[in-house]
Amino acid sequence: MFLLCFMKSDYLPILLQVLVAIGFACSALLVSLLLGKATRRNATKDTAYECGMIADEGPQPRFSVKFYLVAMLFILFDLEIVFMYPWAVIYKDAILEYGASIFWSMFSFVGILTLGYVYAVKKGALDWKS
Amino acid sequence: MNPLTLNHYLLASGLLFSLGFAGVMLRRNIITIFMCLELMLNAANLSLVAFSRFHVGADGLPNYNAQVLVFFIITVAAAEVAVGLAIIVALYRARQTTHVEDIQSLKF
Amino acid sequence: MFPPITLEILVLALGFILLLAESFSQSTSKRSLAKSAVFCLAWIFALSFFVTSAPANPEPGSFWNFYSADPVSMVFKRIALLTTMAVLVMALEYEKVLAKNIPSAREGAGTGEFFILPLFTCSGLMLLASAVDLVMAFAALELVTISFYVMVAYMRGSHASLEAGVKYLILGALSTGFFVYGITWIFGLTGETHFTKIALKLASLQGSDTAILFALVLVLVGLGFKVAAVPFQSWVPDVYQGAPTPVTAFLSVGSKAAGFLLLLRVLEPFLGVASIAHKILLVLSVLAGATLIFGNLAALPQNNLKRLLAYSSVGHAGYLLMAVACVGVAPSALGSVGATVGFYLFAYLLMTLLSFLVLTIATQHTKGEEIQHFNGLSKRSPFLAFALLVAMSSLAGVPLTAGFYGKFLVFAQAVNASQWTLIALGTVTVGAGFYFYLRVVAAMYWAEPADASPIQVSGLSKMIIVLLVAGIFVFGVNPKPVLSAFQTQQTPLASAH
Repeated sequence: MFLLCFMKSDYLPILLQVLVAIGFACSALLVSLLLGKATRRNATKDTAYECGMIADEGPQPRFSVKFYLVAMLFILFDLEIVFMYPWAVIYKDAILEYGASIFWSMFSFVGILTLGYVYAVKKGALDWKS
Repeated sequence: MNPLTLNHYLLASGLLFSLGFAGVMLRRNIITIFMCLELMLNAANLSLVAFSRFHVGADGLPNYNAQVLVFFIITVAAAEVAVGLAIIVALYRARQTTHVEDIQSLKF
Repeated sequence: MFPPITLEILVLALGFILLLAESFSQSTSKRSLAKSAVFCLAWIFALSFFVTSAPANPEPGSFWNFYSADPVSMVFKRIALLTTMAVLVMALEYEKVLAKNIPSAREGAGTGEFFILPLFTCSGLMLLASAVDLVMAFAALELVTISFYVMVAYMRGSHASLEAGVKYLILGALSTGFFVYGITWIFGLTGETHFTKIALKLASLQGSDTAILFALVLVLVGLGFKVAAVPFQSWVPDVYQGAPTPVTAFLSVGSKAAGFLLLLRVLEPFLGVASIAHKILLVLSVLAGATLIFGNLAALPQNNLKRLLAYSSVGHAGYLLMAVACVGVAPSALGSVGATVGFYLFAYLLMTLLSFLVLTIATQHTKGEEIQHFNGLSKRSPFLAFALLVAMSSLAGVPLTAGFYGKFLVFAQAVNASQWTLIALGTVTVGAGFYFYLRVVAAMYWAEPADASPIQVSGLSKMIIVLLVAGIFVFGVNPKPVLSAFQTQQTPLASAH
């Protein structure tokens, strides 16, 4: 019953595409399993073939922990936008009705964020070199 | 006619929540557990937005209280992630592991 | 006179100023940082007697729809301020252990925030005391919880602290998930986030009992983690043992007070729904019974004092839940239960802070936190031994102490509500409590010390210890002031029914 609601013609192409995608992925896996004898492996088979270098590093390169620090700080400051967006939408009406308090409330909010930023800078969280 | 009713959203959000909870209970990697926790919070967000959309007030507008709550949940989740990842990274540096089986030096 | 929100703003501003001061001049002594924080908090505490009350009927859309400053929430705010001051003094005593467990280039670097984070927790607790809206309550609760995550895991060099931090993080976030999902359902059922409006809507809802119970159970699971009720207590022993001792003290007092306050606030609207009230009370009674049994029996074989106090914290959550489970179906009964819970929390706070403060000081000189390390403490420092004796007697419930009167109130409530099973369980567990609390006393007074060098106590800590001991006796003999402070509860909710 639940699925039937989606069976409107609008959603049919999407459903078809999903089916095709799943079908292709499954059949590709299945075929390689059946024909490719993928399960049979030994040490020679696993080495790089004839040319090329033996890899001396894992597939994922290592990032400096600084990268994650900056990324996390970015997320924290970036997210505060969600509060500014509705604020900006109602700003024009609210300033007529309630006066400047709407301005100062956002001002103090951004002020607190700025303090956090200053703290992060002073603690060297954004310092790439060290 | 809109075939999607409130119940569909609630079903999807309930599934998300259960998936998240199952992940927290079953997975063994702390980072994965943490992702599942975020899934649970997002399940709540989804149903809140759905409730907001379907609780139409007298003025014909959705109930925006729920959407404000969603903003707060998103922000809190971000703060939790920032603090949480920092703690997990610190643990990894000290112990070289992110698996829950390895973390049991405090025992009864 | 100031509007009541000034207090929270001042605490937050203090936190920010100290944070910036610490980051701008790395060389400032962390001790002066903590001392100035204690000093300023004392001033804010004094200011709390000069605030105006919040407007009774706020206009829609204004801030006062989220925030009430009734007398009970003011009491909670003052308690939060006093607790934070005691925790900061404890943190000062703990400074050496802290510096040892934080790997850093310079001696004492990276310890500054340890004295500043409690301020943010404090402002979260104060906001939570005043929250009358789910959005506000959620934001305040998370402010408390997230700052606790950082503090629990603060000692980066200690595996135990990091491990405790991760455990608290995962289980805390899990409880947040349940709590938020519960809030979502409450909103979905009522379309409101304000407690009074939720109560009105819930009372008029017909035929959705299952959905209401579902929402409440989700919230109960979330809050059960925070107050350490069985079966959601698994994090407590590990986190209490691993966390820095001042944080453990703050956690056991702050997290529990916040949880029970919110529990009472959330339960109030639901108890107004006559068709499900008895089911809610049944759930609460089962939780209370399980918590009583587990907390007190699991404490029996413990040898680590911090772990013992952790199980004792679970046990005390049991007595508090027992009081909550005695809420009559009639909403008027909530006032007296609120006063009982309030008094019990206050007594619990005095004795817990006292035991952890003594523990913090004594463990600097003993080799560990096991009970055997406290052997003969009375010979090394009669003062500390006496303080711990008072704390343990009060925790066990020896007459004339605040702990005894708290338990007395709880049992009186249970008799009124004819909760005979809970009374029987409570009596047995109090007996068990006497055994494991007095074991510590026996070790201090009747065992020979391994090392008899005397222990010095700094002036500030001495003052706080004397105050806490005095508080336990004064409020044990004359509990009226505290009780009446909590009894003036005439929340808009109770009058709305």
